[in-house]
Amino acid sequence: MAVNESDRPYVHPLYSTLERVPGLSLATTSVDVLLTWGSKYSFWLFPMATSCCAIEFMTSAASRVDIDQVGAVVRPSPRHADVMVVAGTITVKMVPRVKRLWDQMPEPKWCIAMGSCAISGDFYRDIYSVVPGIDTVVPVDVYIPGCPPNPDQMLAALARLREKVTLRRRGGSVEREDRPETAKMIQPEIQRLEDRGDDDSTSRDQLERSRSIGLGGNALRSNDDT
Amino acid sequence: MTPLDPHVRSRLKELLPELLLVDGRLPPEGPIVPPHRHVPLATMLKELGYTLYVTCVATHFPDHDDGELFEVATVLRRPRRNGGTFAWRVRLELDESIPTLYPLFAGADWQEREQFDLVGVNFSGHPDLRRLMMPEDWEGHPLRKDYAIDTPHPPWR
Repeated sequence: MAVNESDRPYVHPLYSTLERVPGLSLATTSVDVLLTWGSKYSFWLFPMATSCCAIEFMTSAASRVDIDQVGAVVRPSPRHADVMVVAGTITVKMVPRVKRLWDQMPEPKWCIAMGSCAISGDFYRDIYSVVPGIDTVVPVDVYIPGCPPNPDQMLAALARLREKVTLRRRGGSVEREDRPETAKMIQPEIQRLEDRGDDDSTSRDQLERSRSIGLGGNALRSNDDT
Repeated sequence: MTPLDPHVRSRLKELLPELLLVDGRLPPEGPIVPPHRHVPLATMLKELGYTLYVTCVATHFPDHDDGELFEVATVLRRPRRNGGTFAWRVRLELDESIPTLYPLFAGADWQEREQFDLVGVNFSGHPDLRRLMMPEDWEGHPLRKDYAIDTPHPPWR
């Protein structure tokens, strides 16, 4: 049930069309390189901005640290975007909406958790209404620690994401990012979406419950595909 | 609090004869008003020009000397120069409900829904008393003092 991040498929929607044309199988490799090159230099960001990290996100899109210099454009619609930037505290009431917007984004897609609230809930973690980390719901590719992070760190995160996309294209396995933990938590460790499987009963329980409220997660979706 | 106007003071004396004013001022934490005077007091204040419904705050007292109770504070403001504010408190038993001020002030709608949601005070006569902040299927009222911080809520808790 658990999904290792290195197993997440990188499937461009064009592939299935290209593979049907006879003789093009050789060319698809080159096209693949081209598409990867294209997508890694044009990340279109969807800001899932709920609190003060959004201000730093705006700053990183503004003139001094211009993330447009690496091709990152902020798009207001999830259907245009391929990177979701979760910037801010996600509450229990908000999280079904986040998941829904994530599901509306076309593949290939990535997620950046910006700020300690999106990473682990940080000092709001033990509050009744706050989700302890967005990675319990969507798979996170890059974490940006900080409260809030500098705009420079946004650039660094985009560089790290480019690196990961390139590595995956070459078939190399990408090490999963360490989840930065900043504070000593009252609650015991809550599993990430991709950690599930260490404890089978817990993970099945979590999955059943999240399915019942419509939060299937990538774990469920990738099973449906194959 | 600013001193009350003389005509406000005289009207107040008719409605709440037991109310004590010091230097023509209300007690700083607000007078305690019995629940059946809640709506008449608000009606009177609205006639006197206190037309701005500022807020409504409910508090849960689990270990009060008079037993477990709620305290609902209402704040009105008179939108004019040196108009001042008027705040009062109503004490309720746990199962008691307080009449809504929605017919007088439309702004009371969401304020009272919020207090119902977070503290669990029942506002009788409110047309649409649903949860406002928390998800619709939430159990319990999180701002009660006896709400446990680690109350489980699947799938994250």
